[in-house]
Amino acid sequence: MNITAPPMEEAKSYTARMTARRRLSAHTFEITMEYPDSFRFVAGHSIRIHYQDTYRHYSMVNDPDSRQLVLCVRLVQNGLLSPVLADCNMGTSFTISGPYGYFRFNPSPRHPVFVASGTGIAPFASMAHAGVEGFTLIHGVRYGEELYYRNQIESAAKAYVPCITQPSGHDSAIRESFHGRVTDYISRYLSPASYDFYLCGRREMLRDVTHLVDDRFPGSLVYTEIFF
Amino acid sequence: MKLYTGTGDRGKTSLFSGERVKKSIDRIEAYGEVDELNSVIGAVISFLPAGSRDVKRELLLIQSHLLHVGAWLATTDGSHAQQQLKTLDPGEIVNVETAIDRMQGRVPKLSNFILPGGHPSAAMAHVARTVCRRAERRVITLIHQEKLQVGDDHPNAHIITFLNRLSDYLFILARYLNHSESIDDALWSG
Repeated sequence: MNITAPPMEEAKSYTARMTARRRLSAHTFEITMEYPDSFRFVAGHSIRIHYQDTYRHYSMVNDPDSRQLVLCVRLVQNGLLSPVLADCNMGTSFTISGPYGYFRFNPSPRHPVFVASGTGIAPFASMAHAGVEGFTLIHGVRYGEELYYRNQIESAAKAYVPCITQPSGHDSAIRESFHGRVTDYISRYLSPASYDFYLCGRREMLRDVTHLVDDRFPGSLVYTEIFF
Repeated sequence: MKLYTGTGDRGKTSLFSGERVKKSIDRIEAYGEVDELNSVIGAVISFLPAGSRDVKRELLLIQSHLLHVGAWLATTDGSHAQQQLKTLDPGEIVNVETAIDRMQGRVPKLSNFILPGGHPSAAMAHVARTVCRRAERRVITLIHQEKLQVGDDHPNAHIITFLNRLSDYLFILARYLNHSESIDDALWSG
């Protein structure tokens, strides 16, 4: 065992300008922030964007080596920060801090299964951008347009499974997807074995998948990151 | 934002290294005791008399170290996740010993056992001492149950030493707090 392995980077505060913003879906957009010179993170880490007396956490989407901070933001109606991020002028500066969190890819002999709900795809996109491959990714969304970063992640995945709970229209994303919740898919189609599960998304998804793991996939590991 | 996830509602929890385990196993017992110790030290801090700024700073640092200790105990030995943990610096044990020696030099010598009590902060430091001893016992149980190899270069070896020294610190802290508040320790009359 390597007991001299470096611990997690200590979180520090920085000022960073927003340099880009693009729409991902009706309720979600992506922003790019300047990368502070001394900032370092690994795929799976998050930062805080501070605003007034509080802050919000966002996981980076991009490859840490790309020296950007690309974030996937869900627009919360009457929310504190997301409307500001959606409407502010390009070049607006924000106080950020980080990196935070322990959610990262741990190589092992077991097959990795990534399970995301909504914008919980962010850390998995970062891992794929950073070179992690051969995983199964199960992404739960309401609508097909919410399958963010599909094109970028699918090529790195051994299996990519979109789970759409409210399918509508006739786009290809709908045709090639599972219609139902991620737990429905896992219950029906994931072969009995021991896996390394990485769960990122809403607490209800984390709870339900974790209970499924307890019941059906003994010997598996479970790493979780809550997205609110 | 809700605090709870419900993933532990059926008697299992996740280790930092990802394993799903029963909440009744030795490992959970061990870091649960360390968590209790940390909480009791927080109570000691809340009872400190005015002007105890240095002791408070010392205890806050110890609380921080105990969080790292808990993280080690919540992580399976040899797992990849251990690489994310901060190793307890053996120098922190030296710091605790230095603090023990400093307080030892300021309190009257003991000629007999004492009855735990006195100033509320001192009484609570005695409680912390006993919880610390229990935490130490649980960690040793864990090491024996899981047959962990803890040589001198293993972080868990430092954890045992740290807890052992910390209980001595809490004993002398109790005496020091009573002395600084002009309260005599109650001697055991046998």
